[in-house]
Amino acid sequence: MKRISFKWSTLAILGLAVFGCEKDKNGGPDNEQELITTVALKFVGGGQTLTFTAEDKDGDGGKAPIIQPIALKANTDYSLSVAFSDASKTPAIDITTEVKTESNDHLVCFENTGAMNAPLQQDKDAAGKTLGLESTLKTGAIGTGTLKVTLKHMPSKSSANACATGETDAEATFNVTVQ
Amino acid sequence: MKKIFAAFFGVLLMYLISPMAAQAQQCNLSLKGQVLNADTGLPMAYVGIVIKETQQGVESDEHGHYQLANLCPGEYTLVCSHIGCDHAEQKLSLHSNSELDISLRENAVTLQNVVVSGTVGKRASTQTASELSGTELDAGKGLGLGEILKRLSGVSSLNTGATISKPIIQGMHSNRILIFNNGVRLEGQQWGSEHAPEVDPFNSERITVVKGAGSVRYGSDALGGIILMEPKPMRHNPGIGGELHLQSFTNGRSGIASGMLEGKLAKLPLGVRVQGTLKRAGNLQTPNYYLNNTGAAESNFSWSGKYQPENWVLETFYSYFYNQLGILSDSHIGNLTDLNNAIERGRPLQDGSFSYHLGRPLQRVLHETFRVKLSHALSENDKLTFQASRQFNRRQEYDAHRRYNVLPQNLDAPNIQFEITTWAAELNWDHRLGRNWQGALGSTAQKQINTVDRGALIPGFDNLDAGMYWTERHFKLGNPWEFEFGARYDIRRLHIGEQGTTIIDQNRDFKNWSATLGLLYTLNENLKLRFNTGSAWRSPLVNELFSSGVHHGSASYEQGNPDLQPERGFNNSLTLEGAHTQKWSFALTAYLNLVNNYIYLQPRAAPELTIRGAFPAFDYQQADARIMGLDWTGDLELYKNLHLESKISLINGWNQELHDFLIYMPPFRFDQGLKLNFNAQKHPDHPSFVRLGVLAVMRQQQAPATDYASPPPGYVRVDAEFFHTFEWGKQHLELGISVFNLFNTSYREYLNRFRYFTAEPGRNLGFRLKVPFNFSPK
Repeated sequence: MKRISFKWSTLAILGLAVFGCEKDKNGGPDNEQELITTVALKFVGGGQTLTFTAEDKDGDGGKAPIIQPIALKANTDYSLSVAFSDASKTPAIDITTEVKTESNDHLVCFENTGAMNAPLQQDKDAAGKTLGLESTLKTGAIGTGTLKVTLKHMPSKSSANACATGETDAEATFNVTVQ
Repeated sequence: MKKIFAAFFGVLLMYLISPMAAQAQQCNLSLKGQVLNADTGLPMAYVGIVIKETQQGVESDEHGHYQLANLCPGEYTLVCSHIGCDHAEQKLSLHSNSELDISLRENAVTLQNVVVSGTVGKRASTQTASELSGTELDAGKGLGLGEILKRLSGVSSLNTGATISKPIIQGMHSNRILIFNNGVRLEGQQWGSEHAPEVDPFNSERITVVKGAGSVRYGSDALGGIILMEPKPMRHNPGIGGELHLQSFTNGRSGIASGMLEGKLAKLPLGVRVQGTLKRAGNLQTPNYYLNNTGAAESNFSWSGKYQPENWVLETFYSYFYNQLGILSDSHIGNLTDLNNAIERGRPLQDGSFSYHLGRPLQRVLHETFRVKLSHALSENDKLTFQASRQFNRRQEYDAHRRYNVLPQNLDAPNIQFEITTWAAELNWDHRLGRNWQGALGSTAQKQINTVDRGALIPGFDNLDAGMYWTERHFKLGNPWEFEFGARYDIRRLHIGEQGTTIIDQNRDFKNWSATLGLLYTLNENLKLRFNTGSAWRSPLVNELFSSGVHHGSASYEQGNPDLQPERGFNNSLTLEGAHTQKWSFALTAYLNLVNNYIYLQPRAAPELTIRGAFPAFDYQQADARIMGLDWTGDLELYKNLHLESKISLINGWNQELHDFLIYMPPFRFDQGLKLNFNAQKHPDHPSFVRLGVLAVMRQQQAPATDYASPPPGYVRVDAEFFHTFEWGKQHLELGISVFNLFNTSYREYLNRFRYFTAEPGRNLGFRLKVPFNFSPK
């Protein structure tokens, strides 16, 4: 009998030692998802301020992103500012500031086709390399084209083709009409 | 106490028969026979028989047969090295070729000893299984489970980079394979192909792979196979002992230290053991560049105790596994464009450099197991076992960069975190019916809760499982036929909670049967034929049902299918096995596995558009599939101690509805080696050897067209190994030196999901030292 009591008390102690461990106590998922839902392009020029957005409020899957077509005047000088935000929260959370704060790790890239001319990146990161949040653009003749805007994270900025490196955090292709 | 020992270690020599033609004074005599249980007449497998004077040794096979060759005439002492007989000795006078049947008398105490040495239960002999132990296992322990098992024919691994490796058995992996670690079914986050098994190989002394649907005893869902990891049996002599492993590899400049210490009391039948492993590795190197952020850090710890009063055994086991794995930075991609850029580059952007730093992307995995097992021997032949276990698994994944706009206190929080807790109980009755039937009847129950702390890739869920099984094996001495059958019935209720902020709250109920039949036919003393057929099923898992989101490592968008039905597999295999003492041995297996409702990922025609750009989209679908192949393993003595070792695997996976190949089927592998043994007289258990191996892997021609890049070309790789057992003073030491990829060949492996981004690691020189120690009171 003595043996058995020894056995069970051993078991009880071991059980306490292990089952007693406290695990994650924050109780259930928090499911916060800080992601970029919105890419906004602000064109200032020709006496106008125009804003076009690409937005996917419900995140990956579900509804496809809604991308507004861009309409610009021909033969006009514009300044272009790119902004990123998370509009799935109320109020929407600005992410551009964070891109600026960590400017060395970010790069905004543009790819243009058709009648859309290439924006020229004007701003620099903390290390003096291209950032791309602010750029200038001169439109040409009337026509149509596209503009692809990409936010790259951790690109190799010294690489010859920096826009082909790093991880894409946001990407949207806008249809453009120059009129 | 001593009296009991003396009684139960008694060896009875049954009969000494048929002295054949008398031999001259030449050392060419042989001694063979069978090891039998004196009470039942059933053969006893894996009993070591060693001649004390010459240290020649052999282990009885599954049917108790043993054979010792090249003996000189003389007086010998035969020592039994089985755990149940504990070095019982018997004198023997040998003057001619002889047959000697050895009967071991088991009593209740030995029965316990024998039984607990196999932690999961006895392996049925009709199954096609292969195992790794001793030197072969020690050599791979520092490389992880997936890499170790590649030493077996028909087993390969699915890799994610050079650090994550999970086993593939006959073309199936992840949740189609069950892993038992010390008798507990591993319940981690095995659903992902980049989720490596959460086990410490240093805790195991023997790893057995049961191919095919296997025994119903282990669960219904093992369509591909079962991996049994068994620790060294607890010591049964009073005293203190243990072993120390030190290993180091040049590629990654890794260092591994693993130690085990155990003790047994003389006055109480109580033994305890503690074991721990520490591992640190840095960036790996391919022939042409370093792979940034491919280091690893691992710390594992376990303890176990065994209390064994008469007719009872109480065992406890606790293990803690914590692993941090760096993932090649260049493999982390944002979208399809990034993936195409990376594939076009075909190699990391920078040459990289060596560092031990573990940066993002990173995985942190913690796994805890606690088990209590109580066995009671009702009689010599009947035993009741109850086992209860708890497992906790936490998986944290850190993406290449943290999320935007995080709160300061969450700066180091993972992007995805899963936690799964599993409680399981099992009641088993091992029994023997009459003289020729042996079997087990039992039931299992399991409760599992999985919470997703971050991310919405899969929903949180909980599971309730219950099952019953019955298996019987028939064996009759002298009858060449042996057979085994088993049946099992399982029910599962899966409850799906919330996914992200969406509440799903649905139940899925599954119930079904599985069955196996195994036949073994002994053609003659050298040849055996096995046939196994069985049917198993697997219910769809939560990721297959409800996955929704982007999988970063693979830049793919995966969409689950809530209407999936269970898979039903029909496995058939035929094995011809042969062995002729030291001269030759081989096993050739042909298998045909049909899986109805095989669940797979089907690429969608249009990519999924997100705000990060386009991702290739995949849907979980079902179709009837067929997997068939050949496994060959052979060993031939070319000259004296020089052996040719040969392994060949051939496999074909076919989707019968799409009329296309299945993805990730291992390509044709042709592995040949030359092994020269020496010093075998001195250390029959661990003879020293030198080995040179050549592995040829063909290009996978049978791949589906829907891959990002076509399969890489075939390659030839040369590996070498040296192993030596020696004495340093009184201390026994085992030293191993291995060279992986001797010629620093640059190649890519089809089964590595990072083959798009990088070549495989280059030359790797490994050193290992094993120091066993033992202090027994005289």
